Amino acid sequence: MATTRILEWLGRFYIFLLLAFLYLPIIIMALMSFNASPFYQLPFEWTTDWYASLWQNDQLIAATWNSIEIAVITTFISTVLGSMASLALYRYEFRGKKLLQALLFPPIAIPWLITGTAMLIFFFGIGIGRGLVAILLGHVALALPYVIVVVSARLQTFAPELEEAARSLGANQWQVTHRVTLPWIMPGVIAGGLFAFAVSFDQFVVSYFLSTPGQTTLPVEIYAAIRKGFTPEINAVSTIIIVVSMALMLLTARFFKFGGEK
Amino acid sequence: MADQLATGSRRGLKPALPLLLPAYLWLTVAIFLPLSAMVFFSFMTDLPLAEKEWAFTLGNYTAFFSQGLYLTLLLASLRLGLEVTLWCVVIGYPAAYVLAKVLKGRSREAIFLLIILPFWSNGLVRIFSWAMVLREGGILDTTLNAVLPFKINIDLMYSYPAVIIGLVHSYVPYMVLTCYLTLQAIDDSLIEAGRSLGASRFQVLKRVIIPLSMPGLIAGAALIFVPVVGSFMEPRILGGRTGTFYGTIIEDQFVAVFNWPLGAALSFILLAVVLIILALAAPVLRRAG
Amino acid sequence: MCMPRLTAFLTATAVFVSALAAQAAEEVHVLNWKGYGADEPWAVADFEKATGFKVVNDFFNSEQEMLTKLRTNPGLYDVVMINAAFNDQAMAGKLIQPIDASKLSNYADIAKDKANSPMLNHDGKVYGVPWVWGLTAVAINEKSFDKPPTSIAEMWDPAHKGRVIIRDDAVEAVQFGAIASGQNINDIKDMEAVKAKLTSLMPQIKTFWSSENDWNQMVASNQIDIGTYWSGSADRAKTHFKLPVSLVIPQEGAVAWLDAFSIPAGSKNVAGAEAFINYMIDPKFYVEWVTKVGAPVSANTKAVETLPEDAFNRKVMGNPEVAKRIQFQAPITDEQREKYLALWQELKVNVK
Repeated sequence: MATTRILEWLGRFYIFLLLAFLYLPIIIMALMSFNASPFYQLPFEWTTDWYASLWQNDQLIAATWNSIEIAVITTFISTVLGSMASLALYRYEFRGKKLLQALLFPPIAIPWLITGTAMLIFFFGIGIGRGLVAILLGHVALALPYVIVVVSARLQTFAPELEEAARSLGANQWQVTHRVTLPWIMPGVIAGGLFAFAVSFDQFVVSYFLSTPGQTTLPVEIYAAIRKGFTPEINAVSTIIIVVSMALMLLTARFFKFGGEK
Repeated sequence: MADQLATGSRRGLKPALPLLLPAYLWLTVAIFLPLSAMVFFSFMTDLPLAEKEWAFTLGNYTAFFSQGLYLTLLLASLRLGLEVTLWCVVIGYPAAYVLAKVLKGRSREAIFLLIILPFWSNGLVRIFSWAMVLREGGILDTTLNAVLPFKINIDLMYSYPAVIIGLVHSYVPYMVLTCYLTLQAIDDSLIEAGRSLGASRFQVLKRVIIPLSMPGLIAGAALIFVPVVGSFMEPRILGGRTGTFYGTIIEDQFVAVFNWPLGAALSFILLAVVLIILALAAPVLRRAG
Repeated sequence: MCMPRLTAFLTATAVFVSALAAQAAEEVHVLNWKGYGADEPWAVADFEKATGFKVVNDFFNSEQEMLTKLRTNPGLYDVVMINAAFNDQAMAGKLIQPIDASKLSNYADIAKDKANSPMLNHDGKVYGVPWVWGLTAVAINEKSFDKPPTSIAEMWDPAHKGRVIIRDDAVEAVQFGAIASGQNINDIKDMEAVKAKLTSLMPQIKTFWSSENDWNQMVASNQIDIGTYWSGSADRAKTHFKLPVSLVIPQEGAVAWLDAFSIPAGSKNVAGAEAFINYMIDPKFYVEWVTKVGAPVSANTKAVETLPEDAFNRKVMGNPEVAKRIQFQAPITDEQREKYLALWQELKVNVK
């Protein structure tokens, strides 16, 4: 038992190390938002000027709201559609299924630059053009494969007998899905949603091709800014986003259970 | 075996359609059709623009074989993808195990979320921050020299290791979360049963835990390997003059010389190679499990 | 998908988009690099107040992208900023239209050699109004030098090993190699010499830069000694950001470029475009731009004359000795561009 205890503590320490690795650049990003030098110059000189100028930067703020809006809608649509598709791929056996599964990889494998160019040409061709609608259309498509792959991985652990048992007890298809399958795959759906949000929120290339000057997203603004006027305002806005989402997430974790507790 | 067992309780495409159609229609409109236009371009000598002449050709594909450069870079990119994936397994799998089997209750949910949160910040800002850590006189260098009694010189920036560090940092959450999803599903009583039958921890790991969590490992590996092979942003900024990879030359064709046909052909070759590798690797991995 | 049909679709969309754009004739749509004068908020506000037109800025990140935007959005833009070396290509693609220079009151003050540049004038018609020009030369980190070097050879000095930086751009790299090997940048006879020069430079290099911000960060953290840089950017780094950067125009010479404004074919607001271009070449705008932000050299002689005697853009860039050393970039064909890229890629791969 003692060994188990020690191993458990080692495990916790390991998680701590991993989080330290993951958050190292985030902490530096946040620190630099309070540093006076626009070029991350050291020694550190405290300032809140970047937050003050961020407050004045309507363009950056508008782009941030666009990004949040698009990422939230993308997350919702791609999680719902993706989970449905995963269920179908799991539940049913049919010809061409392997092909459908293989088709999930082109959007991930083809560099976004090419996908973005292709989307621009095609969306023009069919009359959608550029703008927030086009960006949303593209983002959902990019996020879908991630959701399907992640949810499918979770579904692989699901015992089909459970669905059969529920059916034999007289549950209809909807009840089976709603009461049996969905609770089981929920951690997968949540993880897929988190990835979808990340894919959309940090998506630069495709958004870049599909945005118009008035309708742009945060990463597009950032990449355009580094040509000339990159300032730690970018760090400031990223820091605010991280702090707010961390608060939201910890609240969520406090009040909802989704980790698949048995 | 596992495939048949875990899936397909029912036959037929018809009942599956209502669930499949929305997602695949969306993918068709936003990705497959646009990419088919690109496939079309990849067989052309030039873009179909008013002032240009164009014809059909296989030249863009044969160009790949005519120059050693492309193959060298493709191999370099595949190696990069493999190394990053392996590091992600080594770092991510144990973390997923701890998360799924050691931590309980609220702290598990909180950490689950904390692991993905860094990726809601901007990718470019993250890379700039890594530059601050890794460069000479940067944070790593300064900290180590302050702690260690002897003087060392750490300048990892603009090197291959810097590219690996940056990419592993970007992709390890995929591995942690996909492995978590399958590890968490393993019934604790299975592990206990194995142990009580006299199996060592290692045997339980090898015979029970790894095989049962294989779908997560495979999904994670695919989600990491595939995009890393085509990456160009992180290698360029963190790798400096060593940061030229296959993704870089595709980007050049699109951005620098406006040769979309060649750029498209190069990316479809990449796609084909990646799909072949996935097709070959998946059964091997499953059997290993 | 059938290609003629796609082209037809594109045209149909374009017509549709232009129809929409027509309703907002009071807007002037400007396509330019971001942070390059035309989008300065004070300038936009000033212009809007003076003329009543509303400015809508759009940006590109490479010349190729600018051409793509013009091709895929016919009728959307009223003003586009084009490097003179690309003017020819834009005109040949029927992307820009002739400009009636008599409508621009400031046009007469443009330096004659720039206004009459064969790159901007075709068949006796004006296709581009020269705006500013500058150099791709060498800049140094003042902390690393007691006195500024005079020769490009400094970049090959082993003392700077691992502290040299050049831009990740095939054309710029090859033309730089041409200057270093004593050749005409627009007529490179000896590619092998260029290749040899660049090959021996590679081990000196720390990394490649792609934006001004890269350069400024590297200098701020004292990671580099010397590298290729743009004159306007070096000026901005020094005057605006107070970084220890100064520009050197090597005795071997430097690459010069000329930026000009054009009016895209199908513009819905030519009058607004003319007013905007005229405002951009006005000395009043230029002086404010160069003092507040830092800028390349104006093509308007009156604008340069209003600068203080010792201003870099007047003293150094206006120096006849310097003028002799610099070589203006001429148009580059697609074949040359691909050849340069192949060479550049080979160099980058071999260094790994």
